[in-house]
Amino acid sequence: MSVTNLLENWAEFRHTHPVDDVPHDPYKWAMSIDMDTCTGCNACSVACYAENNLPVVGKDRYEHGQAMHWMRIERYWPEDGREFPDQGAQFLPMMCQQCEAAPCETVCPVGATNHTADGLNSQAYNRCIGSRYCSANCPFKVRYFNWYDYPTTENVWPAEMTMQLNPDITLRGKGVMEKCTFCVQRIRAGERSVKNEGRILRDGEVQTACQQVCPTNAITFGNLVDPDSRVHQQWKAQRVELTVDEQEKDKEEGGSDLRGYRILEELRPYPSVMYLERVRESAI
Amino acid sequence: MDNNFDRRDFLKVLGWGGAAVALSGCGNTSVEDGKETVVSYVEAADYVMPGISVYFNSTCAQCDAGCSITGRVREGRVLKLEGNPDSVINRGKMCGLGQAGVQHHYNPDRVREPLLRTGSSGETITWDKAYALIAEKLNGVSGDQIDFLTGTVSGHLKALLGNYLETLSSKNHYVYEAISPAVQRAANLKSYGMEMPRYSINKAKVVLSFGADFLGAWVSPVHFSQQYAEFRKGVDGQRGVLVQVESKMTLTGANADRWLVVRPGTEGILALGIINALGVAGLSLPANVSALVNAYDKERVSKDTGVSTENLVKLAAMLKERSPSLVLLGSAAEGYEHGSQNAAAINLLNQVLGNVGKTVEASASVPFPQIAPTIGNTAGARIVNNRLASGQTKVLFTYGVNPVFTTPAEMGFKDNMAKAGFKVAFAHYLDETALQADLVLPLDSALEDWGTQVAEYQPDGVQISVQQPLMEKLHPNTRGMGDILLALLKQRNPETYNAFDDYYAYLRTALLKNKPQFADSGADDDVFWNGLLGSGIINVSGNLNKLSDKMAVDINLPAPVEKDSKYPFNLIPSVSAHLRDGRHTNQPWLQESPDPLTTIVWDSWVEIHPKKAAELGIVEGDILQVESKSGSIKAQAYLFPGIHPDAVSIPLGRGHEAMGRYAKGYGVNPFHILNRVFDRETGELAMHETMVSISKVGKRVIVVKDEGAAGGHQDGRRIALSVTSDQVDLSEEV
Repeated sequence: MSVTNLLENWAEFRHTHPVDDVPHDPYKWAMSIDMDTCTGCNACSVACYAENNLPVVGKDRYEHGQAMHWMRIERYWPEDGREFPDQGAQFLPMMCQQCEAAPCETVCPVGATNHTADGLNSQAYNRCIGSRYCSANCPFKVRYFNWYDYPTTENVWPAEMTMQLNPDITLRGKGVMEKCTFCVQRIRAGERSVKNEGRILRDGEVQTACQQVCPTNAITFGNLVDPDSRVHQQWKAQRVELTVDEQEKDKEEGGSDLRGYRILEELRPYPSVMYLERVRESAI
Repeated sequence: MDNNFDRRDFLKVLGWGGAAVALSGCGNTSVEDGKETVVSYVEAADYVMPGISVYFNSTCAQCDAGCSITGRVREGRVLKLEGNPDSVINRGKMCGLGQAGVQHHYNPDRVREPLLRTGSSGETITWDKAYALIAEKLNGVSGDQIDFLTGTVSGHLKALLGNYLETLSSKNHYVYEAISPAVQRAANLKSYGMEMPRYSINKAKVVLSFGADFLGAWVSPVHFSQQYAEFRKGVDGQRGVLVQVESKMTLTGANADRWLVVRPGTEGILALGIINALGVAGLSLPANVSALVNAYDKERVSKDTGVSTENLVKLAAMLKERSPSLVLLGSAAEGYEHGSQNAAAINLLNQVLGNVGKTVEASASVPFPQIAPTIGNTAGARIVNNRLASGQTKVLFTYGVNPVFTTPAEMGFKDNMAKAGFKVAFAHYLDETALQADLVLPLDSALEDWGTQVAEYQPDGVQISVQQPLMEKLHPNTRGMGDILLALLKQRNPETYNAFDDYYAYLRTALLKNKPQFADSGADDDVFWNGLLGSGIINVSGNLNKLSDKMAVDINLPAPVEKDSKYPFNLIPSVSAHLRDGRHTNQPWLQESPDPLTTIVWDSWVEIHPKKAAELGIVEGDILQVESKSGSIKAQAYLFPGIHPDAVSIPLGRGHEAMGRYAKGYGVNPFHILNRVFDRETGELAMHETMVSISKVGKRVIVVKDEGAAGGHQDGRRIALSVTSDQVDLSEEV
């Protein structure tokens, strides 16, 4: 893809969000996360480090906000002013929401972050110049910048530790932005393996690392345009539409008794991750 | 094998001695099978294809839950671990601690050569010299002067260890776990007739947990997390309700529908108060139970425990209405001088609610006693410490434990160790205990070694988990624990053990010997063996223990302790899912993985309730001196709403003075300031009985944490949403 081609056919490459005449085909990767079963245990986060070659930055850099956890668990306390949080804490697994109209994409001066045909928000590391505009523009704060050259100069993977690195993924050098990819290396490997059989991926054939490890199965990942996929059925049952900024069910009088929602939907990024509200027993 | 070799002895050598199920008596299975040329799969270049991952099943050794894992191996390197879906324990899932197992294997600070210490200097020596040295030091020492202090052991390693001890004529195998539900096991034996029944969270409509952190670090967390997910989806469409009672919020408490803060140590009183309230609500109680709880009316219980009468009544009503329920108890209720009494009261509540037989079910016992797990407790270290102090122990072997780090400093384990003439540490790292040893023998990592593991908690029958190397050894001079024991056994009893070239040969022979128990008796040896390595799991039905439901009412709970003006706070040493007793602190993913509740990384902290902090003028980041009568430590303050105002909490696991670059020098070690107070009945260390004072030292730091500037508040934005159960329809969910 030459730059000229890119500029001349910008509208095609810059697929803002799906419209009726350009539906996703055959894949649109999406997720749903059930916060009633998520326990906040952090297994997903550690699995992400293992899968995606994330550097451990150490205490000082963590203090400077330079942690590289693509998947993080946010913890919220209830704000009802009571002395004790007697309904527990609330945990929210937060990673790139793979927005359909991603605010990060439009501001990249070099087109390093752009949209794939299967609905991923991709990051071309070798095109990234480190302007960090994308991070500034991300409402979810899920983009992580390499302030240091972790692979070569920072001794993050000393000696034998390098042997653990996943060879399917590059190591990112200094000055490059990175973020959750929905484990794109697993998706691509899966696509290649079924191509020989002349079919597309079935539900469950590709799992993200966080989904695979999750002890409570709180994370569902799959192809949103496949009616047989669990993620499709969950979005449908919860009446959450990908391409709107306000769900029909929320406009109804009295609200809905469904618990699916998307975070910061009103900003119109069209996130590809649906969350299911945490439930607390009313009888106690 | 000699023909005159006795069959019974032979079974014992192989770990099947005293088996409670019949072993096959026929056939002439020869030990010579073990002499065949064994080509490890990692050398089989046939299926190492560059760029293609292959997967091998093994067993996670990061804790003792026995989860089965599948290792992704490429070009001969293990890259990542996943759960093995065929395991009844973890059903394809894992925890963060298990994920970090590869960092145990690739850790740059592993011990690589046998080390001998002479005075203050050390040198590397050969294995031959190390073995010769052990033989020399054991010469002239009687069996009762030789001690083995190990962590929980099971499987064929335990069989070999037992056999080795026997050749030494030593009965001194002490099993030590610094964090162990030992009080509860004793109470369970009385209440249910077995130490560890099966708990069915997924069948309960209400779970009432007295400090059992079953989603974090309690017993078998990955298994219970899956049960919990089913429990939340509900039985017959009714979502399960979790009520957690504790003085400091655990991860499980953070997921509760109702988290009840209780005055430290009064858990038993609350349990009896709930029984009383159940009686008032109309549940019929046996006369002796009724007499026992008569004095525990809601006003008194509320005054003693701090739980409001309203909550007490609501809780009793819900427990009465929604049956079956399940009552669990964890370290927070056990860790007192009257811990056994607390446990008995809590178990009684389960019995009164009729849960025994419904959600508390009979577990299966391992039919082979020689490989059944020997579970540790804190008494193990105490006994060895006393023996060391009195000079009874001349030679000490340690494996899988770090008592210098995990025992109260007041016990003086480090100094007492010096009194033994010869100390051998089997170790992966130079931890605090290995540093005190005379001889340090470097072990293979769990991903390089052979073995079998049998977990204490068995959700369905008995699963024997097979551990096989996922790659070649990283360091040529480390050895598997099984191989070391075999070499030591050959010193003592060459005619029996010379038949086995290595631990692999021993293991294969042992498992093939029992083939008829595990497979079609006609199965070919190689087919059977390869199948075993393929699945990584052997399931045996085991014998169901007999569940008893005898209500014991000889419960005697002390009145809540009045505050000591010198040491006004209860110290709660908290156990995190990732760091546990500190044996994994050198795995950097775990150091950098935020504590779920405080989001703090790489350091220790003191949790204090915001109200109390305001009273004392403490703000976040103030360095506090926490002083017990046994010592003091300094750590940063963190204002934490999920804690009783009369308690402070410091997490266990950090504060290492050794163990390599990722562990040494980060945080403080609360084990060292614990008072020597023990449960009256079991003699277990009462971990929650230490009272402390806190004072500011006049220094403030920035707390390194993941929580943003807002301190975890949403400020009205719709980010993490919550809904009450009456506002939502779960029946149509996918």
